Amino acid sequence: MAHRRCLQSFVRHATALISLKKPPPLSTFEILTSKPNPVITPPNLEPSWFTPLSHFRHFSSSKSDDSENEEEVDESSDGEAENDEVAADLGRDYSPEEKEAEAAAIGYKVVGPLQRSDRVFKDYEPVFAVVQIGSHQFKVSNGDSIFTERLKFCEVNDKLILNKVLLLGSPTQTIIGRPILPDVAVHAVVEEHALDAKVIIFKKKRRKNYRRTKGHRQELTKLRITDIQGIEKPEIKTDGKPLKAAVKMPEKVATAA
Amino acid sequence: MTRIKRRRRTKISLFASSFRGAHSRLTRTITQQRIRALVSAHRDRDRKKRDFRRLWITRINAVIRGMGVSYSYSRLINNLYKKQLLLNRKILAQIAISNKNCLYMISNEIIK
Repeated sequence: MAHRRCLQSFVRHATALISLKKPPPLSTFEILTSKPNPVITPPNLEPSWFTPLSHFRHFSSSKSDDSENEEEVDESSDGEAENDEVAADLGRDYSPEEKEAEAAAIGYKVVGPLQRSDRVFKDYEPVFAVVQIGSHQFKVSNGDSIFTERLKFCEVNDKLILNKVLLLGSPTQTIIGRPILPDVAVHAVVEEHALDAKVIIFKKKRRKNYRRTKGHRQELTKLRITDIQGIEKPEIKTDGKPLKAAVKMPEKVATAA
Repeated sequence: MTRIKRRRRTKISLFASSFRGAHSRLTRTITQQRIRALVSAHRDRDRKKRDFRRLWITRINAVIRGMGVSYSYSRLINNLYKKQLLLNRKILAQIAISNKNCLYMISNEIIK
């Protein structure tokens, strides 16, 4: 992983102590409480990219990548010789917007409209989600910024919805996806498209007069997570204080007068 | 001409400017140490991926063994695969150190 990715993803706010209480019963996925409630849900979620279940390690994202590569090969024209890299396809200007949406789904994101004067940035909420983008997983919460591989089809200040969510957690609830959670949205905004710091690839064989130097900068996208939807958020009790202050002031004035 | 040698060597000595002792002062040692540093960096970039995975596994193992008498990392991973969870070890380790109870809940859920 690159320097920037390591630093950003390891900054986390301390979570509060977990006090568990009974959540309302939800049908599509498992919720955990301290008391073993018999909320039995069908474990076989079958999204479109989840091919036949096996008890081996085939359900990881690598298999879905293989099936998607096959789809791209079938749909591309015969003019392109090699279809291994999506970068080669992007140079052909994805004119049908359906292809853009498909490729976006491959990267587990849906591009929303550009934001203008939206109030998207909220205060910190002690809720986290585990999101998968490409083959990397991130534990994110509100206000975090993460560095991912360069996401195509989205520019700066685009709103994204990350739809491959594996886990949701809050001080009161934990929701586990098997393997992903449907109806959960993690909203993010593309902050910048940047290049990573340069790494020098240096190869040397001693006594054989062989040495090669190469520089490499990885293309990254910085996302800022704005919202996590799909879990009960604990309410922060800030309403009591301003009300009390407002009530006390007229009392003091009355007693003074 | 001296100035060409100096130009080349200043670039190299800039790389080694934070090295200790003669490794940042003497030109011949500077070139040698720079080469060794670059080779180590290249090799360790691959090692870093392995090292972190080992660290995560150790951390998950340590936290999971606190759950029951004969519960271990290997059983956790076996159950994860059986129940088709896609959480990877990095995330499990982060959850293990940030809130253990979440990991305990996940493992209880998986055992069933």
